[in-house]
Amino acid sequence: MATQIVMDQSGDTRHEFDPSNPEALARAERRFRELTGVGFTAAVRTAPGEVTRIRSFDPTAAETLFYPRLVGG
Amino acid sequence: MIMPFRARAPRRSRLHALRELYHRFLGENTPDARGRRLLCEWLSPEQRAQFEQHRHFDVVGCDTGKRYRIHYGTAANVHEIDAGGHASMGWCFVPSGFLVPPDVMLAQKIALETNEKAALAIANRFPPAPDGTSVFRRPFRR
Repeated sequence: MATQIVMDQSGDTRHEFDPSNPEALARAERRFRELTGVGFTAAVRTAPGEVTRIRSFDPTAAETLFYPRLVGG
Repeated sequence: MIMPFRARAPRRSRLHALRELYHRFLGENTPDARGRRLLCEWLSPEQRAQFEQHRHFDVVGCDTGKRYRIHYGTAANVHEIDAGGHASMGWCFVPSGFLVPPDVMLAQKIALETNEKAALAIANRFPPAPDGTSVFRRPFRR
């Protein structure tokens, strides 16, 4: 199972999907495009503590984290 | 007279244990607790140890190699650290929306480690507190 983690007011919302299921994969890709389309940044872990930003959907990622657009505080 | 009291005692202790479990579950399922779990999963072992001990952790900017200290908080909680380990500049940038402090800190870590210049470009600068601590703090329960 793969997980898309979206930061929100509840802490985070997790969407799990089976990457071997084409329908679930398509839904996950759609979610990725929707979130990044409204300004979310997507990132994956490449090693413990090491993070890479991704700009396109990675069907092999076990976990993808999304956080909202950054603004000056 | 004593028997009914004795019979009720185990039930009372079971109820007490259940109540304890319920409160513990609620405590571990708050947005802040969930955010802390997520943050700890994404920190390096060194950052996690630092966070658990001091409520802050250090990251290295991917573009300049500068060191930043991210304090527990949701605003004005990022400090640029000089060679002596002192805060030389404060940077304020946060994810939009109302996120819990650990989520804010994780977003700041990822931004500085993967896209430092863009993060600083939108950030507001502020002079750090004289003692180098974060201005904004919230209760932090383990």
